[in-house]
Amino acid sequence: MKKNILFIFLISFIISACEKDDFCVINPVTPNLVLRFYDDINRGTLKDVDDFYVWAEGKDTIFKNVSTDSIYIPLNNLSTETVYNLSTGNIVNKFIIKYTPKEEYVSRSCGFRMVFNDATFTSNLSTWIKDFTPNSLTTIDNQNSAHVKIFH
Amino acid sequence: MLKYFTSICLLFTFINGFSQEQKTVENKIPKDTALYKTSYGFRLGLDISKPILSLISDTYSGFEIVGDYRISKRFFIAAELGYEEETTSEDYTNSTSKGSYARLGFNFNAYENWLDMNNEITLGYRYGFSLFDQTLNRFTPNVNGQYFPSNTITTPQTTNGLNAHWSEFIIGIKVETFKNLFVGISGSYKILMSVKDPENFKSLYSPGFNRIFESNTGFGFNYTVSYLIPFIKK
Repeated sequence: MKKNILFIFLISFIISACEKDDFCVINPVTPNLVLRFYDDINRGTLKDVDDFYVWAEGKDTIFKNVSTDSIYIPLNNLSTETVYNLSTGNIVNKFIIKYTPKEEYVSRSCGFRMVFNDATFTSNLSTWIKDFTPNSLTTIDNQNSAHVKIFH
Repeated sequence: MLKYFTSICLLFTFINGFSQEQKTVENKIPKDTALYKTSYGFRLGLDISKPILSLISDTYSGFEIVGDYRISKRFFIAAELGYEEETTSEDYTNSTSKGSYARLGFNFNAYENWLDMNNEITLGYRYGFSLFDQTLNRFTPNVNGQYFPSNTITTPQTTNGLNAHWSEFIIGIKVETFKNLFVGISGSYKILMSVKDPENFKSLYSPGFNRIFESNTGFGFNYTVSYLIPFIKK
């Protein structure tokens, strides 16, 4: 009987020693900005952007010559503003995101993530981007769905 | 008339009597009447694993006093008091917890001693609580990828007045090595009942509880040397 109790204790020690908090399984931890591209005339349907290049001001290209209707792009956590260049067919459209970055604790293995509060979006609408919605978001804390719908 | 009444009453009384009882044969072998008395008293000691660990590790320092008082053949009231400081280094955070703790409870000795031996297989329960501070020494926000890297923030943020309460189940052995000097080793499984977390952070380590796992459980280990101050023998 005593041996059994000892054995049960030993087994429970071994089993419960491996914990899920040893690995960060959340991906991505810090949310990216999700943009989806819609047809300007028929606003309910997604429309691919062809010959699409995306880069942040003064940074390398993230997307190079792709054809897609949705992208996710990281935001600069050290600044309150990120300027992206969205280019199709050599026409460059600036897309400016302003926000307040804030650290938020997630877990032991994932550490802190960034959330972006009070985000506002602006763009020079004279080029290939005709319109977008919404103009602002109270927070960007997940990337489950599109943050901004862009019509072109 | 009254005389008859008392006599009638006596009629209903009865007395047990055995007339055919045999005399029991006296046992010729003298019965072993030597009772092995064991000492009852207050046992005081310390966890020697903690000072040793403090010397080896530069992220840990701790000290613990242990004591118990025997209340019956198998039961002991037991308590531990201690101080611990530990730096937890994770992938994205580095934090230090320091504070003191107390554990109160009882031990049950499941070992049947031979003759005058005085050893124990201990099964125990403790209620534990701790008061501690936790400092977030530095952290790096976990941003995905290196397109916009994050800076490590090295401004320490201390939260005072944190506390934790837990239940603890202990299994261990204790051996009397010299007269009244005991050496014990035990392991414990702890279940957190409540913990106060810093704002926008978490209590990752509590003194006396050790690492707080995601499931609010923890493990402990004690290696004690203690001395029994005997009060009485029974």
